[in-house]
Amino acid sequence: MLKWSGSRYLIGAILLFFAAGPFIGYLRLDNAGYQQTFALAFCFGALALTYDLLFGFTGLLSFGHALFVASGAYITAIAVNRFGWSLLIAALFAIAVTWILATLIGFASLRTGGITFAMVTLAFGEAGHVIIGKNFGGWTNGENGLPIQADLIPQFLVGVANTKYLYWMALALLVLIYLAAWWITESSAGRVWQGLRDNEVRVSVLGLNPARFKLLAFVVSATLASMIGVMLLLVQGLATPRLATAEVTIALLLAVIIGGAATRWGAVLGGVIYSLASNRLQDLNQGELVSGLPTFISGPLSEPTFILGLIFILIVMFAPGGISGAYYRSRLKYLTKKISQG
Amino acid sequence: MSDFTLILISGVGLGALYFLVASGLSLIYGLMGVLNFAHGVFLAAGAFGGFWVTNTLMPDMSSRSLALAILMGGLISGTFAVIMEKLIITRLYERHMDQALVTVGVTLVVTAMMTGWFGPDARLMYIPGWYYNAIEIFGANVPVDRFLYIGVALAIFLVSMSILKFTRIGLVIRAGVENRSMVTALGINVKRAFTTVFFVGGFAAGMGGVLIGAYASGVSPFMGASWLIYGFIVVVVGGMGSIPGTALAALLIGVTKQFANFYISGLGDFIVVLLLATVLLTRPQGLLGKAAH
Repeated sequence: MLKWSGSRYLIGAILLFFAAGPFIGYLRLDNAGYQQTFALAFCFGALALTYDLLFGFTGLLSFGHALFVASGAYITAIAVNRFGWSLLIAALFAIAVTWILATLIGFASLRTGGITFAMVTLAFGEAGHVIIGKNFGGWTNGENGLPIQADLIPQFLVGVANTKYLYWMALALLVLIYLAAWWITESSAGRVWQGLRDNEVRVSVLGLNPARFKLLAFVVSATLASMIGVMLLLVQGLATPRLATAEVTIALLLAVIIGGAATRWGAVLGGVIYSLASNRLQDLNQGELVSGLPTFISGPLSEPTFILGLIFILIVMFAPGGISGAYYRSRLKYLTKKISQG
Repeated sequence: MSDFTLILISGVGLGALYFLVASGLSLIYGLMGVLNFAHGVFLAAGAFGGFWVTNTLMPDMSSRSLALAILMGGLISGTFAVIMEKLIITRLYERHMDQALVTVGVTLVVTAMMTGWFGPDARLMYIPGWYYNAIEIFGANVPVDRFLYIGVALAIFLVSMSILKFTRIGLVIRAGVENRSMVTALGINVKRAFTTVFFVGGFAAGMGGVLIGAYASGVSPFMGASWLIYGFIVVVVGGMGSIPGTALAALLIGVTKQFANFYISGLGDFIVVLLLATVLLTRPQGLLGKAAH
């Protein structure tokens, strides 16, 4: 892959920019509300990256990814509230349980391939959503969502004045997930994933077992997603059944496609943009921008998914590769031109 | 005994609705390899068409109005399916993953359009009074609407089976499900078969949408989502591209869900997913499906 030698410094500068935000206050980052918005955007960027491991790198179209985000959030909340465990132990427990859950679900769904896999994971995800919504034994608090009890977790994570710590934690988690994704996609297993995506038969002819590597991709991305689920629980203060819906997974898919699959930074960028856009588009669309238009047009325009969905369709049809794909294409063009000119 | 009869017939009625949703999905996938996520919005679009008939065009709560609504739902949804196929799907020929992704995008856009136009809340249809009547069968009071669903689904089943068995285009479709590249290589134009499948599949989903709107809690832009998931489960359990398989799986899942919900309150969805997992582990190609090609 083409690497711009300055990219390391650019990433460093962006990180520094966001890390210093709450001190200096640009992008209104000294405001707790904006800190929360950005913390959610970082979480979503990290989630898009975990989804990219499955979809972009391994070629598995899963519609059940959100289930593992929800299991991270819910199991942590239950372990803290009910069992009185410390937050760290509860989070580790939730991540471990998600790991087992992902292994079981992955094992069953990977019996099918390609498009059927998409349907089956959707069904498993929906089952999870239904179980959470039905509130069996009062464990999940049903459709209202399950708040984590504020007096049972470290106090620097509680209260509006402390939102900046959650903001920094979300940023740190994003970096951590990025490093993990980088490491694993550049490892030999990551190479096999990309081989499976491009030509599964060739990988199996080489004597490697496709099923095992697919399961690895499924479990790794699910486990990373559950960590972000814990972070979302802290940022939002509660775990909601919405976390487990296919809508969330579809949003991740959109983010990865818009940002560009299989380039890592594309997925993160797509996720952050998507999260901020779906927050901001709503305000924008209900403002004066569309008020002059007839309701026939302004109605759909006031729904963020209308615009995001249209962009998504256009990218899939006419600009595969999304933002990062376009960047690498133009970069390639530039370099080819430079070489041919000597 | 009376409980048993009631649950059985209710289950078959529910299975009939599942069949209406799933038959199109199964054929579209079987013939073209397209996972059609937009089937859920076909359903909702059809339901809004039917809603317009029962509540605006002919708000007299007559059986005629309901019949016209069902037909209208089918037509709107079938037309919509053909437009999507011509406008988008054919341009992504053989790019199966992209085709599936685009239908996800269509779902988002069309759901947003419907929400913008009609609002997010569910609206109740004006339906004939007899809809809520019950008749006694083996001591059980069975709501009559169940028989309507079974009748419509049976009609769609017979029509699509006769198209498949007795017409030339049906022959092309069956051959295409079996081996699409061979059919194309023989110089047969499969494009018309594609369009037919999309129309019939959309038509069934639209009819299903109107019936679901009357059966469940009204018509809303989001009503398709949960039925789409059940449609997928039915298609996977029944086997891709097989109409009898889809019918069998729809019945099995409808009846299983009703019984599970009755005996273990609220666990129906969970049991159905367990059933799906069992089928996947023992027979990944589905009950009547052929091994993957």
